Amino acid sequence: MGIRFNQVTHEYASYSKVTYKAIHNISLSILEHDEFIALVGHTGSGKSTLAKHMNALIFPTSGTVEIFNNIITKKRDKKIKYNSIRKSVGLVFQFPEYQLFEDTVEKDIMFGPLNFKVSIEEAKKVALESLELVGLDESYLNRNPFNLSGGEKKRVSIAGILALDPEILVLDEPTSGLDPEGKNILMRLFKDIHKKTNKTIIIITHDMDLVYQYFNRVLVLKDGELSFDGSPERLFKSDILDKNHLDFPNTIKTLKHIKETMNLDINIYQKTVEDVIKELNRVTKNE
Amino acid sequence: MNSIIIGQYIPGKGFFYKLDPRTKIVAVLFLMIAVFMLENIAQLFMALGIALFILLLGRISIIKVIKGLKAIFVLLIFTFVFQVALNTEGKILSQANMHFNLYSVIGVVLAFIIWRLLVRVGKFKILMFIAFILGVYIILRYVNFGTDFYSFSLTIYEKGIEMSVFVVVRILIIITFTTVLTLTTKPTDLTHGIESLLRPLKKIGFNSEDFALIISLSLRYIPTIFDEAQKIMAAQASRGADFSEGKLKDKLKQIISLLVPMFIIAFMRSEELADAMESRNFVPGQPRTRINVLKFSMIDVYSGIFTLLCLAGAIVNKVI
Repeated sequence: MGIRFNQVTHEYASYSKVTYKAIHNISLSILEHDEFIALVGHTGSGKSTLAKHMNALIFPTSGTVEIFNNIITKKRDKKIKYNSIRKSVGLVFQFPEYQLFEDTVEKDIMFGPLNFKVSIEEAKKVALESLELVGLDESYLNRNPFNLSGGEKKRVSIAGILALDPEILVLDEPTSGLDPEGKNILMRLFKDIHKKTNKTIIIITHDMDLVYQYFNRVLVLKDGELSFDGSPERLFKSDILDKNHLDFPNTIKTLKHIKETMNLDINIYQKTVEDVIKELNRVTKNE
Repeated sequence: MNSIIIGQYIPGKGFFYKLDPRTKIVAVLFLMIAVFMLENIAQLFMALGIALFILLLGRISIIKVIKGLKAIFVLLIFTFVFQVALNTEGKILSQANMHFNLYSVIGVVLAFIIWRLLVRVGKFKILMFIAFILGVYIILRYVNFGTDFYSFSLTIYEKGIEMSVFVVVRILIIITFTTVLTLTTKPTDLTHGIESLLRPLKKIGFNSEDFALIISLSLRYIPTIFDEAQKIMAAQASRGADFSEGKLKDKLKQIISLLVPMFIIAFMRSEELADAMESRNFVPGQPRTRINVLKFSMIDVYSGIFTLLCLAGAIVNKVI
């Protein structure tokens, strides 16, 4: 078993004794491989807090998180090597600026492996491999990470985590701030990594198009509570989205509109633009 | 980090929240001068009484202030120890040879280890620190068997004890005053007050508005930068650089991994801030109006009179 949440609640303390419940009573389990999960929810619903529990960056205020047989509770346990948990569950943060600090891309990617006592030669090898895994070539190794574009920085920061060779990869809004083309390239990259390595990948996102197109499991958070856990197909057929202030994918929205205004018999549940065109062609031919 | 309350404003209602920041700043300044003028312990304890009365008046819990003192407690203890050890006036209270021999050094090391172990599990860290220092004293004094490879005579004078209590209580009082000031005054009001007080200096070419702007901006960004630091630490911890684990040598490298992103983010933030201010037509040095104009009220007058009385009392006492 990879990660298991057992009635986890996390409260943030503030001055005036009023605590703020970021997540509340969450129970779920995530397999150690073969999963491709999207974590969605509107701003402030506790997605990032949930993600930080997955590699024990923060501890639950009540309940337990089980990560690769290490049981994380409220208190720091001397027997648990928290560093090694972070090696098995890699967490990539939303902004690469928080992570990049070395003067070359290579050194920056090597920072993680070197923290885990990998030899320098080995770390160099791993750095190149993970750089290629995120779709950048050798020429980037000696470039300064601060002179890269936003998308490239993001890839380098992801490579920095991939270099640790984690069993499970968690990404906090990797597609934010990218253009649609960049988003799709990055998503295909993750899907590729997932296929090649069988690693479980968990991605926080707002983009329902991506969720529908790429994922096979969705977790929906609402006000810190888990309100849905299942396939995107089931999610978009239910009425949960409306209750959670979330949007439908553009494909479904467009087809729904066409179906209602033109009164056609369309199967509105299409994942990609190509599927939409195919479906529309099918329907118009029949007419 | 949350336990440091020096310089932290806590919203609330009460006497001190209604006072004008200018009154508070000047009052703290005057009361501090008055405290420095006191000459003996009896007077100082009277001042401590006044400080407690002020806390009571403002309905500020003493526990909060004590918790805030944690950060400077080590400083207080050092002040105390040095005063006791180095002052050589008055009657001799005790004279003892301190022995450094094999057994006493082992004893000190053991005491140190026990202290560190206890600190890890226990709660009363400050009490343990005091106990540790006392323990070292006792060991050095009474473990006198074996050959000393070094020994010196530690003489404690009456005046030494008196002065150390004096200094520590004085620091306590001053910190209480400043804590009351910062606990009950918003940073913005504080800079407002400072600006208004420094305005006469414009005649000699010192622009208090710019000064106040610099201070309020830096105060405004302390929590933001602190937030960013925590995010960076989380990001680096995800790459195996956990600050609470690992050796000293690794920690040095980890500090660099924290500092570089900190600087870059701080520069980014300040550039963004400058752009945001300029796009809202901020021009440095131009006269500006305020939303909240500071006004003195009757309670300011009363507090002012009280402060002046305290200061006058201290001056009269000093002169006579």
